Amino acid sequence: MSSDLVMDTCLLAGSIILKNGGETYRTEETMALIAKAAGMDDVNSSATPTSIILSFRCSGLDHTRMVRTPKRTTNLNKITLVNDVSRQFVGGKINLEQAYRTLREIDQKKQIYPKWLQHLAAATASGSFAMLAGGDWGSLVPSAMAGLIVNLSQEYLEQFVRMKFFTEFSAALLGGLFALLTVTVFPQLHLSIIIIGAMLPLFPGIAITNSLRDLMAGDLVAGVSRGVEAMLTAVSVAVATAIILSFTR
Amino acid sequence: MLLKGLALSFASSVAWCVLFNVPVRTIVAAGLAGVVGFLVYSILPIYGAEVLLSTFVSAAAVSLLSQLLSIILRVPSTNFSVAGIIPLVPGSLAYKAMLAFVNNDYVGGITQATKTLMVAGAIASGLIFGISVLTIWKGARYAGKRAQRD
Repeated sequence: MSSDLVMDTCLLAGSIILKNGGETYRTEETMALIAKAAGMDDVNSSATPTSIILSFRCSGLDHTRMVRTPKRTTNLNKITLVNDVSRQFVGGKINLEQAYRTLREIDQKKQIYPKWLQHLAAATASGSFAMLAGGDWGSLVPSAMAGLIVNLSQEYLEQFVRMKFFTEFSAALLGGLFALLTVTVFPQLHLSIIIIGAMLPLFPGIAITNSLRDLMAGDLVAGVSRGVEAMLTAVSVAVATAIILSFTR
Repeated sequence: MLLKGLALSFASSVAWCVLFNVPVRTIVAAGLAGVVGFLVYSILPIYGAEVLLSTFVSAAAVSLLSQLLSIILRVPSTNFSVAGIIPLVPGSLAYKAMLAFVNNDYVGGITQATKTLMVAGAIASGLIFGISVLTIWKGARYAGKRAQRD
């Protein structure tokens, strides 16, 4: 078994997990499990939210490589698929070449839900969350539309603005402006309910859960940095809301 | 009223799953996690529990349920817990805090912001509680296996 292929497979699996919003400890564990199952000695893997290092010993030679993952999205489907591949490989059901080929296919995969469905989902989430927060049936449609605007503008602005937090801030601002406009036109609606619903697509759920899981797994650096990411997102949404609210005074 | 809440929490959890590309075969289970979280969250106050306690217990319930589902369906538990905590998000508290700050009511703003942070902390510790309980169980099982082997 060539050590190059083992290295490629491990790094590919690790970078798919990290790129698509997986936990850091899962990245490290998966790479170490694959390398050990492939018969490598002295396996050490280390991951931060932006880079992966893997080293092992194969027939007297040390191999170490590092990759960076600058751009990150959230696609939990790919993480589940990589998890399946590593389980199958470790369980001996597929060989290394098959695992590598499957991982390449997973890496090329598009998102399982089409774009329009995701925007519709953002609208649904916003609308139903606004009603959970105490809205009546009349506030369902405006908050759904505000959530749709937040999600659309987040996706559109991402292509131009390199800074994630500024994208979130602008998206929250646009959604809030829409809410303000709606309340000005229809004064019987509550601004609070619509804004609470509209900001839901920006809630940093993945960052919070991953940060906690990393901290619990003992990955303190990754856990703290994910936690800071979640806090910065929350702060940018809060500041955008405060700006919108200051218009109402 | 409760039925409406259950339907709404299911809808928002499932929609949130679609946003994060959760696999199709686990999406209903993830919605169920959201429903359970909301159910615990809305039933406990009837028996006199405070917001913090009911948030903590429901986050722990969501976390435990996602760990169990992840064992049954053999997928990472993030798939469920991310969607499950959506109905617990302290959106209105955060909004009230911002509103108070904007209206120059700094004391009220700090009160609301602290409440928001406490609820967020309750969600976090509930999730951690669920993870740790399962870790202890796994550790006990592992120790049992080791004892059998020796």
